[in-house]
Amino acid sequence: MIHDLDPRIHGALDGELDRAALTPEERALVERLDAAARALSGTPVVPGLSRRVMGIIRRPLASPVARFRRWLTSPQPVTLSLRPVYSLVIAALLAAVLWRGPVPAPMLGAHEGVAQFVARFPEAHSVAVVGAFNDWRPEATPLADDDHDGVWDARVILPAGQHEYMFVVDGERWVSDPLAGRYVDDGFGRQNAVLVVRPVRAE
Amino acid sequence: MTPLLLLLLLLPQQNDGRLAEHVPAAALPGVHAIITRAAQDSLPTEPLVEKALEGGAKGASPEMIVTAVGAEEARLRNARDLLRRAGAPGPYGTRELQSVSLALARGLPDRIVAEVVGSVKDTTPGFALHAVADLTAHGFGADSSAALIVAALGSGLSGQRLLDVAAAADRELQRGSTRPQALARVRSILPAVPSQPLPPGAMQGATRPKRSP
Repeated sequence: MIHDLDPRIHGALDGELDRAALTPEERALVERLDAAARALSGTPVVPGLSRRVMGIIRRPLASPVARFRRWLTSPQPVTLSLRPVYSLVIAALLAAVLWRGPVPAPMLGAHEGVAQFVARFPEAHSVAVVGAFNDWRPEATPLADDDHDGVWDARVILPAGQHEYMFVVDGERWVSDPLAGRYVDDGFGRQNAVLVVRPVRAE
Repeated sequence: MTPLLLLLLLLPQQNDGRLAEHVPAAALPGVHAIITRAAQDSLPTEPLVEKALEGGAKGASPEMIVTAVGAEEARLRNARDLLRRAGAPGPYGTRELQSVSLALARGLPDRIVAEVVGSVKDTTPGFALHAVADLTAHGFGADSSAALIVAALGSGLSGQRLLDVAAAADRELQRGSTRPQALARVRSILPAVPSQPLPPGAMQGATRPKRSP
């Protein structure tokens, strides 16, 4: 809060009015203001400041390798100015280099074919196909249901010929493929479905 | 002789990792004994390991696993004997023995399998046996099914094209033909049965399955 200064006090501070002409209260106020002015105008003295500053100024330069390493590892401002048209050209070139088009079909050997496993399990959270081709491990060949319509499928490259298989639903329920058409007893009280894979290249 | 002994010594160790990890410990001695016996008799051992892994994955009891592996060995032995009797030139590969074994497991009588094997001259009998088994699975008699496939072989068809013969007979059934009519119709058009080409894009996204390390 700022108050207007009494002209008598102002005059005493400026030396225009003899302080003896002031009342005791006015004289006390002038002395407090004088003391405050002296405190503000003085330079704070920090012990040993000059020595520390001079010590830093006189420190020998680091080696060129150390300076280069410091330059490499410390953040440096980088300013890149590009016209929008050039930015677009660079973006298009990058996209052309990085985009490889559709995933190419895998190369198949002369005695290999592709098996498409399809199963409908609307309530399932996961479905996998197991057989000797993956050592009957449910985690090895999962089926996918990308559109969440309950129809799961996977395409697997297998050697041409016969393959026994089953589906594993939710990691624990073993189910014979109801659409396989070919079955054989598995020796464990269930039936494996049998798939005959044709070689992609005619024999 | 020494390489054979070395192979017999190393064989159980090679399979130890896969079996020990996925098969109950109580089943391992019995499984190893069968595998060693099969190797000594020059039978393929991989189908036996696979059967043990299958039992382990399906949570079968140790006794059941040993029994199933023993049954698999017996089927392979039976398949080899049948191939020998049919005059098929050896040695017989794993796929060949498994094809015959599976044909027997799918219910084809020995004599039918022998007849088909004897008719397949220059390739493995796998597809021919599958074609006969497919026909019998659709209700065709075993003898007439084998006769159709033998006729197809005689017309020059072989390999996977024999599956087209069975598929053609099945299509005739779906069109309303009786079974004798379907067989006669397909036989009349041999070898020009329609083939089943791979649908476009069937290979897109196909991956190879991962096996145990």
